[in-house]
Amino acid sequence: MSAQKPAQSDDPIELLADSMNVWVGKLSDIVHKVIDTEPIRNVINWARMYSLWPVNITTACCSAEFGAASGARHDLERFGVLPYGSLRQSDLIVIEGTITKKMAKRLRMIYDQMAIPRYVIAMGDCAISGGLFHDSYSIVNGAHEFLPVDVFVPGCPPRPEALEHGIIMLQEKIRNSKVYPQS
Amino acid sequence: MTTTDKPAQESTLGSPSPDEPGAQTLTLSVGPQHSGSGHMRLIVELDGDIIINAEPDPGYVHRGIEKIIELRNIIRSIPVIERPSIIDASNLNHAWVKAIEELQGVEPPARGQYLRCLLNEMNRIMSHLYWLSIYGVFLGHTTMFMWPLGDRELFIDLAESLTGARITYSYLVPGGVRRDLPQGFAEEAIKRTEYFEKRLDEYENIFFKNPLFTSRAKGVGVLSRQRAIELGATGPTLRGSGVDADLRKDEPYAAYSELDFKVHTRPDGDSYSRVMVHVDEMRESSQLIRQILEKMPSGPVRRKAPIVVPRGEAYGRVESARGECSFYMIGEGGDKPYRARYITGSYRNMAAISAVLQGVRLADMPTSWWSIDYWPVEADR
Amino acid sequence: MSLSHEREDNLIKTLKENFPTDIKDATVMRRSRINVTVAPEKILDIALFLRDKLGFDHPTGVSAVDYNRESRFEIVYHLASIANPAQRDILINLKESVPRNTPKATSLVRIWPGVENFERESIEMFGLQFEGHPRPEKLFLNDNWDGPPPMRKEVRFPTD
Repeated sequence: MSAQKPAQSDDPIELLADSMNVWVGKLSDIVHKVIDTEPIRNVINWARMYSLWPVNITTACCSAEFGAASGARHDLERFGVLPYGSLRQSDLIVIEGTITKKMAKRLRMIYDQMAIPRYVIAMGDCAISGGLFHDSYSIVNGAHEFLPVDVFVPGCPPRPEALEHGIIMLQEKIRNSKVYPQS
Repeated sequence: MTTTDKPAQESTLGSPSPDEPGAQTLTLSVGPQHSGSGHMRLIVELDGDIIINAEPDPGYVHRGIEKIIELRNIIRSIPVIERPSIIDASNLNHAWVKAIEELQGVEPPARGQYLRCLLNEMNRIMSHLYWLSIYGVFLGHTTMFMWPLGDRELFIDLAESLTGARITYSYLVPGGVRRDLPQGFAEEAIKRTEYFEKRLDEYENIFFKNPLFTSRAKGVGVLSRQRAIELGATGPTLRGSGVDADLRKDEPYAAYSELDFKVHTRPDGDSYSRVMVHVDEMRESSQLIRQILEKMPSGPVRRKAPIVVPRGEAYGRVESARGECSFYMIGEGGDKPYRARYITGSYRNMAAISAVLQGVRLADMPTSWWSIDYWPVEADR
Repeated sequence: MSLSHEREDNLIKTLKENFPTDIKDATVMRRSRINVTVAPEKILDIALFLRDKLGFDHPTGVSAVDYNRESRFEIVYHLASIANPAQRDILINLKESVPRNTPKATSLVRIWPGVENFERESIEMFGLQFEGHPRPEKLFLNDNWDGPPPMRKEVRFPTD
């Protein structure tokens, strides 16, 4: 809410800055193109693939199997999946089961606050289509109704192996994706 | 985590009278995206870092199960009523079939009753282990997160060989259970329970005697005996406050009247007591599994029961891992209940959260409320 | 299991002696399950008597049932006893009926603080009103559902 600026400034420094901005924009386009080429892109995607940190949000009962998958026998950390407290430093939302209308609002808020690139795994039948509860008055029938979902993991609840498979599929998707998403 | 100052004009640092009660309080909203909240939100009012009031905000997992089971027949409802607490599915399932059997007047055969108890006790251990691992996370003790989840898989394997599913069994049906023991189950179960009891001793050394745990649990979050009773607390929360109430003893169902076990209580009512009640119960359940396998009679596992809810009322209650789980069922003679009220242990213990958190430091909040063993999915239903 | 219901019958007898007119119906449903139907205006006295004289100090839940054909709601308090170890297994269903068009009842939070959440749930799920309830707000349905109280029988959802 600063004071209104005149449309065209006489200040030479500001004029210079404006033209610089144009040049910086063009330069960054070029840099983006260079980074998005084969060898550099592979390195960046490799780094992204193996540091998928999910947000600490649990929506329903599939969290029990997510817990089991993070635990000693399955240990998701060997895929680089480490549940993390701060959503600003996270890359992934694993939607664990039924999404109520109340939770859907919060999920969207969390997704919007996360830094790009961000990924979504919908785990369990309820997060795909409402599952057992699709009649109910208080749930959203599927995560795709309000979030762009990358991988669906079916099951009620999915076994930890299924979740691991879903994460490997997401890693494959990242391997073949561009460094800068089109926006 | 978002912070909002409650009285907007008084909350500035230069507030004239800091001694005035309420002048310096701060309202924090913890969750649902928070490592110490789970599937719910806690609205916490703070004075300094002491909690003066805490309100749970449930409903993030409210799925309208009571309405759904009014619309489906009793067999199709079994998976639905298991979902609120899939880490403790068998006990919830037991409450459901018990209410139906009370109305139908069907008594399952003896072997079926023993098999029910077997899966119930395995589930109790699994549920307590899952709870203990999350307790470890809340305390920042990563070993205590990994070990219980690893040992839980021992029992998950057993349950899978018995029922075919890892955690959602739908094993109990009106009239008995779905299938008999697989070959070699008893030997494997005895081996695993004995190993598990040795592991509990190791937990003792690394965790339950660890000052990291004791200094943050002893004397923290006290729930007095009187308060626990009048708030309707149940399960380990009630027993942690010194009340020896356990439905397996008070109103023996299934095969529990023929089994020998103790009800463990602790008198102090703090976080530490509640944790240790869970640990004692795991030992007891482990011993019970061996006892059940030893005493199990031969015979059929299931008796024919009609898919019908006769006219009348029934109140089926069982002791689940988180306390009493009950169904108040009203039948009209159809294949669906007219009304099936679903009251779970966590739902009843929700009232204890505010009582436990009063006077606790904010840093001890996650461990204090989690010591109640409140599973938000089970409470919201 | 014995077929006699001695303890249950004694409890009913004591209740009927103390409240001869206000108890409309009291039956033994089955072993250790008692149904007591009372007049709604007297429920506070009877609840106090149950808690202080008979030892039913442990509320295990509150249910509401919609009998739309009889145009009434039934509110059921499920009560257990911790104080008296001899009747730990006994569960009393304390019932009252309120008319469907004016569903007003007396809150029993001052007798059993544990029923607060259950009564709040009945308020949002059935549209009941409890006089003297400390927080008559929504519990589960905030942000979840804005329509009529969902557990009423006339509210239908697509079944399968």
